[in-house]
Amino acid sequence: MVFKLSGIVKRFGGLVALDHVDFHVADSEVMALVGDNGAGKSTLIKTMSGAHIPDEGEITMLGKVMHFRSPQDAWQNGIATIYQELALAGKMTVVDNIFLGREMKRPRFGIPFLDLPAMRKRTDELLTQLDVHVPGIDSWVESMSGGQRQGVAIARALNMDARLIIMDEPTAALAVAEVRKVLDFVIRLREQGKSVVLISHNIQDVFEVSDRISVMRHGRCSRYVRPAKLPHKKSSAS
Amino acid sequence: MSIAADTRPVLRLSSPTATRELYLFIAILLVGAGFTYASPYFLTPINLIQTLRAALELAIVSAGMTLVIIMGGIDVSVGGILAVTAIVIGKSYQAGLSSFLVAPIGLATGTLLGTWNGFLTTKLKVPPIIATLGSMYIFSAIMFIVIGGAWISGLPGTLSPLVNGTVLHIPASALVILVVYAACWVLLRKVPFGRHIYAIGCNETSAKLVGINVDRTKIATYALLGFLAGFAALLYVARLRNVEINIGTTVALEAIAATILGGTSIRGGVGSLLGTLLGVIFIRIIQNGLVLIGVSSLWETVIIGILLIVVLTADAIRNRNNPRV
Repeated sequence: MVFKLSGIVKRFGGLVALDHVDFHVADSEVMALVGDNGAGKSTLIKTMSGAHIPDEGEITMLGKVMHFRSPQDAWQNGIATIYQELALAGKMTVVDNIFLGREMKRPRFGIPFLDLPAMRKRTDELLTQLDVHVPGIDSWVESMSGGQRQGVAIARALNMDARLIIMDEPTAALAVAEVRKVLDFVIRLREQGKSVVLISHNIQDVFEVSDRISVMRHGRCSRYVRPAKLPHKKSSAS
Repeated sequence: MSIAADTRPVLRLSSPTATRELYLFIAILLVGAGFTYASPYFLTPINLIQTLRAALELAIVSAGMTLVIIMGGIDVSVGGILAVTAIVIGKSYQAGLSSFLVAPIGLATGTLLGTWNGFLTTKLKVPPIIATLGSMYIFSAIMFIVIGGAWISGLPGTLSPLVNGTVLHIPASALVILVVYAACWVLLRKVPFGRHIYAIGCNETSAKLVGINVDRTKIATYALLGFLAGFAALLYVARLRNVEINIGTTVALEAIAATILGGTSIRGGVGSLLGTLLGVIFIRIIQNGLVLIGVSSLWETVIIGILLIVVLTADAIRNRNNPRV
């Protein structure tokens, strides 16, 4: 079990947004999270990603109890959340974004010079691994399409060895061809042993890539569903 | 897929700052040609070297200002830092200290005042323009209290070779500018610190998320601007051998103008040191040329003011057509 929430309660004043939620994600598993607006999906992912601190309950990651105080905390502990707004630096290149905060260095004369050739090589590997096609790794991220930016954000999560990748509505506002691309990214993440939590309004996307679906209602994860293994899903996952 | 191939354009003309640098370079040539035509004294070695010396302090301060503005900050108190540091230097010389002691004291004073600005903007969360405006008032008050309207004069010119000297027929001031800009360029483009400055200017939330210590980077950058202002103060004292009451009054606005004219975005995230250096040269050439052709120096401020408005309006129009920029 990579990641587990037990008995999580989150209140906002008198409102109980999360009411003793139990939730877990296994290795190489894509867990979808669905539910109506106001069901508590956003609060749940914010709790997983460190943006909210739960009032009760326990978060464990690889068997270790975690107390996230901030998104940075969760990020440093291997939980990468890819928000709709992506949190990329638009006026920086693909290479810059992927290595932001963990640049590769080649010290000379005691000065920590950037190791640009190594970073470019690794960027190339990551993008190939995910099959992300970008105009150029030295292009500004903001000049790219929504799908390409998703690809860069996921490559960054891979580069920091995230174990659990939370994707919040990754296919919203994307063209049809781009949706296909992003769903392929999800499948590829699973192939590489990563666990994914996918939040989506598009039930077709959810059925296509997820191993389990958790349905949220009134602040509870009311049930888990295993989508039927569709033939095209098997072929794209293999 | 061969995406590892170097896809950077050779001249980087696709980048917005490269275009601005090119325009500014052409503008310098045109203005220079105009002044050469209008005055026989403009294109003479003596005049150009004098202009270079007059540009020394502004160029140094502007390098630091570029880093601060790329980071999404601003420092309007930098003239005050220069003034207070010059006074500390002047008083230290008057107390009989040697240049070996005065130089580090000056640099430390500038760095300390810059750190103070960084502290205000990060730890106390005061918006940079307000924080540094407050600092500017404080620094001006300190200056008036300490020197009380009188000049500090008769100071030793031990460091004046850095301003007036030559090395292999190259003016030392040009070399000093070169060294400062090369060092800042390495800091901005070749080590992680510079990447963090750009990242904070682009998207501070993203920078925080990936674990960049945003507060520390900001404080260090303001401190660096303070250090450079301290260095500029040392050169100012070396050049003039006194501390005048109006020291540093225009340098902050001139440095901001040079940086913005050079293509650095006032909203942060984009900018280049080469553009800033060209901006400094442009401003000083206009000042020098107008004096030579006998036009009041008031017009210089009018011209720079109009240019700033034109440049910022052009940026705003471009951004309106491309909301993602």
